[in-house]
Amino acid sequence: MGKNILVTLYRSEVSPRFDLATEVLLVTIDADGREVRRQELVLAHASADDLCDLILDREVAVLITGGMEEEHYHYLRWKRLEVLDRVAGLAAEALTRYLRGELESGDILFPRGEHA
Amino acid sequence: MDNTLASRISQAPFAGLAATGLDRADLPRILRELPFGVAVVDRDRRTLFMNKVLERLTGYQSDEVAGVPCRHVLRGSFCLHACPRLACAKGAKGAPAPADPCAAESREGTLINRHRRKVHVRLTSVPVLDARGEHLCTLDVIEDLTALKELEARLTRTAGPGAIVGRCSAMEHLLRILPAVAGSDATVLLTGESGTGKDLLAEALHRASPRARESFVRVNATPMPEALLDVELFGQAGVAGENSSPRPGKFQLAQNGTLYLSEIADMPLAQQGRLLRLLDEKAVVPAGGERPMRLNVRVVAATGRDPEALVKAGLLREDLFHRLNAVRLHLPPVRERGEDVQFLLTHFLGIYAAKFRKQVLGFSEAALALLSAYDYPGNVRELRNMVEYAAMVCAGDQILPEHLPPHVRALQPLAASSAPPADTTAPKHGTARVKSARKKG
Repeated sequence: MGKNILVTLYRSEVSPRFDLATEVLLVTIDADGREVRRQELVLAHASADDLCDLILDREVAVLITGGMEEEHYHYLRWKRLEVLDRVAGLAAEALTRYLRGELESGDILFPRGEHA
Repeated sequence: MDNTLASRISQAPFAGLAATGLDRADLPRILRELPFGVAVVDRDRRTLFMNKVLERLTGYQSDEVAGVPCRHVLRGSFCLHACPRLACAKGAKGAPAPADPCAAESREGTLINRHRRKVHVRLTSVPVLDARGEHLCTLDVIEDLTALKELEARLTRTAGPGAIVGRCSAMEHLLRILPAVAGSDATVLLTGESGTGKDLLAEALHRASPRARESFVRVNATPMPEALLDVELFGQAGVAGENSSPRPGKFQLAQNGTLYLSEIADMPLAQQGRLLRLLDEKAVVPAGGERPMRLNVRVVAATGRDPEALVKAGLLREDLFHRLNAVRLHLPPVRERGEDVQFLLTHFLGIYAAKFRKQVLGFSEAALALLSAYDYPGNVRELRNMVEYAAMVCAGDQILPEHLPPHVRALQPLAASSAPPADTTAPKHGTARVKSARKKG
């Protein structure tokens, strides 16, 4: 059985904030993990509550996003979603990693330097 | 003031300071110790450095986010739209922008940290330019505004009538005179049946009064031995030699604030006498003490029963009644607030639909007819609980009769006889109410 994965977007990146995302990528994969459908949706305005409604309405099973408030995190977890938040990186890379089973909450996918 | 790139170069503001050796200063150490958050980001908004305060605020260590775009570290509301310093970086590379994009600027917003907590902050972005005016990096100064926002919220709460709402003439009159009553220091007696909102009104009086920033202490004179009640209300003096410290009573705890006696007639007559003396003398003698203690407390008392009847029955001292009755505010029961019922139903539905994250838009005509016919012996408290229950069990976008408690649904045959047919408009406000079997009197 397939499942829906939703990635909040900021340009080509995972949106740093769940509540401020105005674009999302909705990907449906089949039971073998193959992508069968891809949709980019533009939202009327940024709202964490509306995004939660969209997620439940589209029967999303996995959410990949940046920072989100505890209240929304626990709400979606309570609705039995797999929530991978605080992900920093390009949306495509985050999705690929998730499909390989290598993505976790808090992952930073950008190259890191030795500046500090 | 001329603030163009050329003028900044000619000013060479750091020339004198460089002579002191500042150019060789250990800048990261200085920044690390500053008492507000500081991030250094490069021209492409990649994080180079964060000081200790910002590490605490964001939950990230400086070295684990080095090189990461700052919008993914700060996660500020100001990061996604019109990032303050991207314009500067672009401007420095190309032609200078007309409005000097490199000027320092502040903006308020929120960030969401690693612990999923939203924090109110003020960001001030200061571009760092070299001697030729080239943009080197940006210093982001982040101040935590949590304490200020909490203070603002507290002060805002003190202004309005709080959760008291109503549109009937009696409630409108009450809300109109509330600021004037709150502004005076007169003793207030609140009357009204159980569930009409006496506690809320007492709190609103306190919040709107000049004493709003002091304590609001509620006293429920529940039956207990008189000696204990004495200590509870008026405190206990410390006894020398017995190593006992003085214990403040409710009146001492309410010093400079408001003391709310929630059911005055429950107080034994002896304590009523002491309360009367306290109101007259503005002083109290703690139990076991000799010296009176000066008190500055505003007293608001309430009773759910008719105070004149309580005086006649000997449950309330007449002299205390007259002392408390300086200002009397009466909260009408819901059954006398005709046009308010529908307003209150809609008001609470909005609150509970949002709380339960449901798209409940309103009441069906049949449900509204039942709810309008009911007499609410528990008043607003009962009405509120009923709407909470209905919003909880409702799966659609309208509250239907089956979402109402059974004792309200049982009214249906009676309600149907007085309510308009289901396909007509909702019943007019103020129509004759069908009384349930629970009607008082």
